[in-house]
Amino acid sequence: MSPISIFFIIFFYIASLIFILGVSYKLVQYWNTPVPLKIPIAPSSLDKKGVFLRFFREIFLFSSLFKASKWTWLFGWTFHLALVLLFFRHLVYFWPGDVPLILYKIEPFKYAAYPLVFGLTGLLGRRIFVDRIRYISSPSDYLMLLALIFIALTGMFMTFGHNHPNLLMVKNFTEGLITFQWSELPGEIIFLAHIFPVFCLIAIFPISKLLHAPGIFFSPTLNQVDNARKRRHISDWASKKDNDLKIELENNKKDD
Amino acid sequence: MQNNQIKLPTYVETPSINKDSMAGEGPFKATVEIQNNLGFPGEKVENWHQVAIDKMSETKSKYRSVQVFLDSCMKCGACTDKCHYFLGTSDPKNMPVARQDLFRSVYRRHFTFAGKYFPKLVGAKDLDEDMLDDWYNYFHQCSQCRRCAVFCPSGIDTSEISMAAREVMNVIGVGQKYTNQILGKVKKIGNNLGMPEPALRDTLLDLEEEIKYDTGVDVKLPIDIKNSEVLMVSPSADFFAEPHIDGLIGYAKVFHESGVSWTLSSYASEAANFGMFIGNYDVMREGALRIRKSALDLNVKRVIVGECGHAWRVAYSFWNTLSGIGGGAEDDYALKLQNQLDSNYPQPQHMIEFTYDLIQNNKLSFDKSKNNHRVVTFHDSCNVARGSNMGDIKNGQFILPREVIRAACNNFIDMHKDSIKSSTFCCGGGGGLLTDDLIDLRIKGAKPRMHALKQSEQESGVNTLAAICAICKSQFSRVLANYDFDPYMVVSVHQLVSDAIILKEKLDQ
Amino acid sequence: MAEILGAEVDEEGYLLKVSDWTPEIAEVMSDEDSIELSPEHWEVINFLQEYYKEYEFAPAVRVLTKAIAKKLGNDKGNSRYLYSLFPYGPAKQGCRFAGLPKPTGCV
Repeated sequence: MSPISIFFIIFFYIASLIFILGVSYKLVQYWNTPVPLKIPIAPSSLDKKGVFLRFFREIFLFSSLFKASKWTWLFGWTFHLALVLLFFRHLVYFWPGDVPLILYKIEPFKYAAYPLVFGLTGLLGRRIFVDRIRYISSPSDYLMLLALIFIALTGMFMTFGHNHPNLLMVKNFTEGLITFQWSELPGEIIFLAHIFPVFCLIAIFPISKLLHAPGIFFSPTLNQVDNARKRRHISDWASKKDNDLKIELENNKKDD
Repeated sequence: MQNNQIKLPTYVETPSINKDSMAGEGPFKATVEIQNNLGFPGEKVENWHQVAIDKMSETKSKYRSVQVFLDSCMKCGACTDKCHYFLGTSDPKNMPVARQDLFRSVYRRHFTFAGKYFPKLVGAKDLDEDMLDDWYNYFHQCSQCRRCAVFCPSGIDTSEISMAAREVMNVIGVGQKYTNQILGKVKKIGNNLGMPEPALRDTLLDLEEEIKYDTGVDVKLPIDIKNSEVLMVSPSADFFAEPHIDGLIGYAKVFHESGVSWTLSSYASEAANFGMFIGNYDVMREGALRIRKSALDLNVKRVIVGECGHAWRVAYSFWNTLSGIGGGAEDDYALKLQNQLDSNYPQPQHMIEFTYDLIQNNKLSFDKSKNNHRVVTFHDSCNVARGSNMGDIKNGQFILPREVIRAACNNFIDMHKDSIKSSTFCCGGGGGLLTDDLIDLRIKGAKPRMHALKQSEQESGVNTLAAICAICKSQFSRVLANYDFDPYMVVSVHQLVSDAIILKEKLDQ
Repeated sequence: MAEILGAEVDEEGYLLKVSDWTPEIAEVMSDEDSIELSPEHWEVINFLQEYYKEYEFAPAVRVLTKAIAKKLGNDKGNSRYLYSLFPYGPAKQGCRFAGLPKPTGCV
């Protein structure tokens, strides 16, 4: 097996391991961190159904972002939607064994690459040209956008420029990663250049701002039901204070 | 007062950033005595760096909000033009994300892999003297109004970070004079003013005389009356300041007409709870426990809160947690109080809810023409608008105050939709910033609200600004003149009620 | 710590000890604020001090306006008039001139 294939196989496992362990660690950390107070933010929901609907609007429509800035919404929403479509489009390369018909039928999803680049370019443009957003950007913010644009452009070059690598080899390689029966990667530079930054992004996911994806579900401002008057909400560490006070009061009584 | 007036543009402009335009030393620092009163070190401790990092670690392990918000900002910039202090000062560190980043950059440096090994790449920074100075200066340029959080796609609430940062600073001995001095007075005397009981009693008697003189009716302002139906907890500014005091008279008249017995408490003579501003659970809880103790001692059936913005957030959202004033508890500690309170009513209730219910049931009558000289608009106070509810109906916190105003006034007009309800602009003085040493910031921070008001004045002839928050009322009284308004145009919602309500006893005579 | 005529004041110019107050101190403070103390100013300052002696606290603005109305006439018993005397607020500036502590809170 070529050194390049070995490198990518090892890189894939390392990246996946970091991703799975890292994200699990963060999820467990978030889950285990208490929420001592009720802090839902308007427009808050008075019941669970409302909270569910709010998440639906936030996750699928980016409703808060829409309120905030139409341009950022347009670029951000387009980018994320395109990313989802392209993820499904790519399943055909990963699916072990016989590929379901549906994955062939969604082949036109490949055109989502155009809106993807449009959205990413817009986001990058805002970062460069709007002074407020330039001020808050770190090198990593630009690098992530550039990496995503690079991934998109290399993918488009292969798909629309008729520079496909050997698709059977790709499928054998990805299947091999899952079944541990490793096989050779296609050697085209353009293909390697396409997947390298993908693996990088997977690896940095749990240690970067990409954590916003799981983070949003844990935002107490969004996920709490606004019913503080009706139900007593109390965390363990705060509840202990009630008990301490009770004990203190009882002791005082004994003293009297 | 009329000097340095600010010319308002015809539309709200998002300014270009102007770095360090609000750089400075921040508000006065608390003295040793003030700090010690609250159990904080009097001066910056020697190993402050380590103490601060340890406190950050503790805070993020006790508050999910802090941990999640520090991780999940994607720097999209949605919040950058939402803060009134940024709009008013153009200092980029007043953009919510940049303000959070003062804290976040230290978090990244000390608690994350990327920040430990690639600090430049991800904007991680050490907590050095300069950073601490920036913390002190810029976390006291945040009124914790939460407007930014409404627009954040991740639901990140800068106020949580701002509270956490102030908590860390207090723990290392760097506290703010204004807020901490006031908290000491609550602890010692029971209210923010430090108004002793005899002065309070005298003031209430004085007001009773005034109402009698004005209306001919014996409207009482009772204090410490056991077994009353209602314990009324209002901000102490209602006992002292203008125009607040006319709101207090309004509550008294409404209670008088309702026939419901009520009492103020000399022990719990403060609704405000600045413990929230400094992010300290124990201090905030201590304030709430005073109310609990009063409710138990006076054996009341209901607790009602007066016109105070952050107090209503603390009461509505936190009291049940902090001290069991609420409903639906299952533990003995909270049930002891909740079994005493009347479960037919929400506990606690806002005075606006009480008045609104009476209006709905036709228990109050108004001569609305008494307010005909007014064209009224309503300033949604940030903590009420974004951190509470009224009436237990969706958006009730926006609906009820407006309905109460409409019941008492013929002319009501809302300001521009982007400046009201959940998008309301802070008055510029909330969150512990209502102090003279921050007057420059307060004037600048009021700009977006003043702009919306100016628009309403020009388009609809608005001449009265109604509010339900003691801080808003004081802040507006102080800054309105700087924007070429009459400072007396600000009123309590219950002053409008007070001016129009028909006292039945008088009809009988 | 800053001083006015030997009496210690805090960073905002309020006397640390009420007992240090003398009429000369009020004159110095008002000079600094470019205000010439008239008999009306002194009525307010004197009432603030009397009230403080009894209650160890400054009077509510409403209590003050009514007291001034009794002394100087109804047309002067309102907060607009008091603000014309003390542009930075009768409670804050008045208390400072009278040597009382600064009122704190949401005021």
